[in-house]
Amino acid sequence: MMVLITGGSGSGKSAYAEKASVTLAGEGTLYYLATMQVYDEEGRKKIERHQRLRAGKGFQTIEQPVNITEVAAKMEDSRKTVLLECMSNLTANEMFSFSEIKQPDEVVEKIYKGIGLLKEKTDHLLIVTNNVFEDGITYDTATTDYLQALGKINEKLAEFADVVTEVVVGIPVPVKGCPVA
Amino acid sequence: MELYIGGYAQGKLNYVLKQTGIPMDKVIDALVLAERGISEEIGIVNHFHLFVRNCLREGKSPEDLVEAIIAGNPQLIIISDEVGNGIVPMEAEEREYRERLGRILCGLAEKALKVERIICGIGQRIK
Repeated sequence: MMVLITGGSGSGKSAYAEKASVTLAGEGTLYYLATMQVYDEEGRKKIERHQRLRAGKGFQTIEQPVNITEVAAKMEDSRKTVLLECMSNLTANEMFSFSEIKQPDEVVEKIYKGIGLLKEKTDHLLIVTNNVFEDGITYDTATTDYLQALGKINEKLAEFADVVTEVVVGIPVPVKGCPVA
Repeated sequence: MELYIGGYAQGKLNYVLKQTGIPMDKVIDALVLAERGISEEIGIVNHFHLFVRNCLREGKSPEDLVEAIIAGNPQLIIISDEVGNGIVPMEAEEREYRERLGRILCGLAEKALKVERIICGIGQRIK
């Protein structure tokens, strides 16, 4: 099963995504694909908070800030549930962390392909994305390109997913299908 | 306690007044709340997000103050903007505000008997 989980900053989407992953995984192996790159103290704190949240839930963490296709080789050949967190970081990394800024279409294509491959290798794939679309601000070209790319990726993933859930103040709200937890 | 959330200018207060029948004079604005505290007759706190923002600006812990308010007013109705659905701001203070408000609302939602999200003046009960 593939599940897409969206929500804003501080919406409780991570905690919910972890709960949903644990529910789906059952006895299978549980992987956490961490996409965030650390640049400063704030980033480190954010990661530490996430690590505390995940502690004791049985996740094996794989750091994968770019090139999601490389993940398959890093996992065991058993039944597995994968939680990827989060698409907004992965998209930003793919777009901005190479020597030159990548075009949105190229980023969309690369990520979509990577997720397709990952889905084939997993029993359950849960992807956390981010609702960054509703502040009504017109940004510079680079940020607009980023918004366009992430929006397109979300659209494609939602089409592909069995279940799409929005988390609002910690509460799962169905968008497509029935929330898994 | 009940929680009503939604984006800016979505008709939240109007919706809550209509739904609950509580008169306007039982509504307190969050900025007034920050100054005056809460009295028995208050039914609704409006613009709750501004209360959190104010606390942060003044270096107070909004979590502690919110807990005290709820403990003293278990029937309170809270109306708040949702502010987390945008690009992560450049300013650390803005990021902090979004995160803290988000987490506080998650905590309130857990305790609330009822949570509704208002879009275009229409309530969607999510708890």
